[in-house]
Amino acid sequence: MKKIEIAPSTKNGFHHWLCQRVSAVALIPLIIWLVLSLIEIALDPEGYLPVFFAYPFNAFMSILFFSTSLYHGSLGMRVIIEDYVNNKAKVHFYIMLVNFFSITTVTAVVLAILKLHLIN
Amino acid sequence: MSKNQLVNTHDHSKPTSPHLQIYRWNISSITSIMHRLTGVGLYFSILIIAWFIVYYTYSFGSISDQKSCECTTTLILKALFFGAIIFVIFSLYYHFCNGIRHLFWDIGKGFDLKKARITGYLVLLTSLILTITTIATTIYLKLF
Repeated sequence: MKKIEIAPSTKNGFHHWLCQRVSAVALIPLIIWLVLSLIEIALDPEGYLPVFFAYPFNAFMSILFFSTSLYHGSLGMRVIIEDYVNNKAKVHFYIMLVNFFSITTVTAVVLAILKLHLIN
Repeated sequence: MSKNQLVNTHDHSKPTSPHLQIYRWNISSITSIMHRLTGVGLYFSILIIAWFIVYYTYSFGSISDQKSCECTTTLILKALFFGAIIFVIFSLYYHFCNGIRHLFWDIGKGFDLKKARITGYLVLLTSLILTITTIATTIYLKLF
């Protein structure tokens, strides 16, 4: 009987696991802030939404929210890709694609939030 | 023979771990797969929201000038949009609650079968109640 060949450990599994948990804990207050500010926006959309990012706290928390959630999301997408795609080249390609989209999106949205913060 | 076949199906590649079709469904597997599905949904919706903020920033003032028509396509698109919003709201609450459950598991609490089952049902119930409350409040206050 042929032995199953197991891919050698890359020795960074624990770091990945820990980063996912730390970003999850960091996301708890950020999600609470997000839901509370969405309620505030819903109560007065015309008055509050255009000046939402003018408040320093909102700009600060939204930049933290987008960077942390996209980091947490790309870590989670990596696990899902590793579990469901069984072609090694495809796994690496998809992980790189996810990282590319996360990094470009964070850069673009941080620039946009800074612009909205500074023009108001 | 059968063992050999099982091993040789994907040479040099690791087996795909969470099989979805061959296991009997129970509350643990349902909450687990829903955690993954809502996570993927939230990832893509955050990408869309982020790029919408970017679009809104660089096309300031021209975003609400579009004329609305009551054609069938617009109505279908609107219905799809509200369906997507309800899915995203539910995903956010569910992933939040189940994520806290996972964090408690990581520090070694609530890991026995009975407690895991109870918290599984609790997470599903809480996120459903929160979603229904949100939608009901939005309709009641006529926000949209």
